[in-house]
Amino acid sequence: MSGAVGREPVFPTRQSLGLMKAKLKGAEVGHSLLKRKSEALTKRFREITRRIDEAKQKMGRVMQIAAFSLAEVSYAVGGDIGYQIQESAKQARFRVRAKHENVSGVYLPQFESYTEDSVNDFGLTGLGKGGQQIQRCRETYARAVETLVELASLQTAFLILDEVIKVVNRRVNAIEHVIIPRTENTIKYINSELDELDREEFYRLKKVSNKKQRDNAAADAEILAAREKAAEKAAQNGGAPQTEEPEAVDVLGEQEDNDVIF
Amino acid sequence: MEGLFFNVNGGYVEGIVRGYRNSLLTGQNYSNLTQCESIDDVKLQLGPSYGDFLAALPPNPSTSALAGKMTDKLVSEFRYLIAQSTGSTAKFLEYLTYGYMIDNIALLITGTLHERDTRELLERCHPLGWFETLPVLCVATNIEELYNSVLIETPLAPYFKGSLSHQDLDELNIEIVRNTLYKNYLEDFFNFVSTHPDFAGSPTQDIMSEILQFEADRRSINITLNSFGTELSKQERRKLYPEFGKLYPEGSLMLSRAEDVEGVALAVSAVADYKAFFDAVGLSQGGSGMGGMGSGPADGKSLEDLFYQKEMDMSKLVFTRQFTPAVVYGWMKLKEQEIRNVTWISECIAQNQKERIGNFISVF
Amino acid sequence: MAAAASYKDRQFLAVIGDEDSVTGLLLAGIGHVTDPPDAQRNFLVVDSKTETSEIERAFQTYTQERKDIAVVLINQHVAERIRHSVDTFTDPFPAVLEIPSKDHPYDPEKDSVLKRVRRLFGE
Repeated sequence: MSGAVGREPVFPTRQSLGLMKAKLKGAEVGHSLLKRKSEALTKRFREITRRIDEAKQKMGRVMQIAAFSLAEVSYAVGGDIGYQIQESAKQARFRVRAKHENVSGVYLPQFESYTEDSVNDFGLTGLGKGGQQIQRCRETYARAVETLVELASLQTAFLILDEVIKVVNRRVNAIEHVIIPRTENTIKYINSELDELDREEFYRLKKVSNKKQRDNAAADAEILAAREKAAEKAAQNGGAPQTEEPEAVDVLGEQEDNDVIF
Repeated sequence: MEGLFFNVNGGYVEGIVRGYRNSLLTGQNYSNLTQCESIDDVKLQLGPSYGDFLAALPPNPSTSALAGKMTDKLVSEFRYLIAQSTGSTAKFLEYLTYGYMIDNIALLITGTLHERDTRELLERCHPLGWFETLPVLCVATNIEELYNSVLIETPLAPYFKGSLSHQDLDELNIEIVRNTLYKNYLEDFFNFVSTHPDFAGSPTQDIMSEILQFEADRRSINITLNSFGTELSKQERRKLYPEFGKLYPEGSLMLSRAEDVEGVALAVSAVADYKAFFDAVGLSQGGSGMGGMGSGPADGKSLEDLFYQKEMDMSKLVFTRQFTPAVVYGWMKLKEQEIRNVTWISECIAQNQKERIGNFISVF
Repeated sequence: MAAAASYKDRQFLAVIGDEDSVTGLLLAGIGHVTDPPDAQRNFLVVDSKTETSEIERAFQTYTQERKDIAVVLINQHVAERIRHSVDTFTDPFPAVLEIPSKDHPYDPEKDSVLKRVRRLFGE
């Protein structure tokens, strides 16, 4: 029994041996399943990580283009529209909707962008001049925000997967390094205990039989001695038929005893 | 005849403006600017013409800070001019500032409508549209008070009075308010230069009526183009068209009925200049986004660019005339374009978008 | 899944950034002001005068209190100012995204998520 892992507190009986064996089997199956899940998730995770890296770079470019289109607006309008835009914002036109995707039993949310076409807060902005640039800028920014939303999905998936993979790996490790060795230990322990019991029993029986033999031998010797004594007595008294009868009974009894022992 | 007495009152101002005009950036300057690697370089290149004004900027300033400082220079020069002018010239210069005032008032109306602290907005106001009583407007807490203050305190009262009531400010989109005011302003300005005894029949009337007509037409066309796909109805749209200009009245009527870009093109086809613009950008623009981002016409010019170009040409031509305060108008427009150009160039440099850096309008 | 309920009604984006970024994103149509009386905006304009505590508060509001925000966009240079809060915020919802601004190009080294990515792969 390696002390580091320990064993389950069970009585070393054949029944618990059976239980432990079933448990070991279950743990092994579970381990391989979880391992596979973890691998699937990790694969996904790596893919997402790669895509995040790409998307972040892409975002840098997209936002730059968008910022540039805003520069075009201020060139065309010839002034600052920021405040007006901030004040006229009322209802979000650009919204996101969350759906989820199932990856090996993990629900990964995915943001999906959609526009509320009924909402149009800035329809008249730049009416006098710069309207076309503003329109174009809005489109550019809407595309940029789509990229951002995509990135947000990836990032959320990344965080969730990160968490889930940690949990799964923890489970895999727990099964691999704790539960399986412990169950194996327990089985070993039960087996050794059972063997020990067997050996003890064997030894005990051997001892019993030895003792029996010794007792028999002693009893034989006694009987022999008694017989000799009786023979002597008979020889002295001359009553031979008397002694014959009890001897026959005794012989029967002895045979019965032998049968019982082995 | 007008030349005989003009210099008594307006000669100094005109002389000063001609001096200012010489400090405008030239094509050579622009090509130097486009070679710059950083905003600091731009700053250095601007040194000769902007000197002191840029000195306070931190190293590698933001483009908006740069533009702000350049505007400061324009403002201080303009203030000097207005301080030096008298009589009809002063009035003329005041008219120039009304356009900015309209923007400022619109800003304050926006703020008041949303119950923001309008005092914060004062620093966002365009300095040229600043008038002494502007801070008074910030006292107003609701739109009715503001409306009354505007009527009492501002020179814009006539523009409000006829066409907007305080309820309108509540309901109308601020853009419609702004454009209504602007329309009234343009009409008033046009009226001013055509009827004022000092200007009627003078070169000022010649020049300004042409410029203002162009401005009016440009607004009409823009409003029409930009209103497609919005809730602005045709009647409302029509109310925003200034009632003069080369397009007025037939073109305006057609514009008010136009439903798409082709309609607009048809409406303006009577005027050769605008027809040429529409031909240049191609009739199919509008829907697919005009000009820029590489998706537009080959030369990358949008309709607005062409309008700006035309405006600059007209402003430049103003300087061929004499005895008129209209040169101030020309100079101001040129200067504004210059600020926009520099902002554009520095924006391109700051954002590493060199391929479109040439998309500015150089006049000289 | 417990998270399922928490992201169903998240449909807005929020933004904390400089004026240009906010203007641009609002143009894209993400701006939303909740119904009066407590008209809450989902955007905050940060300039040089904005207090860090205000940014902090907005960040907390968007990430903790409001349950209708799916993505919080924050300019990277603004995130720098409240780096601690951004780094310690690890919930999947809402997603916090650091975006570049006009004057501050994107620096992957500072991104809290990318930092985690890099760390995971020991780069």
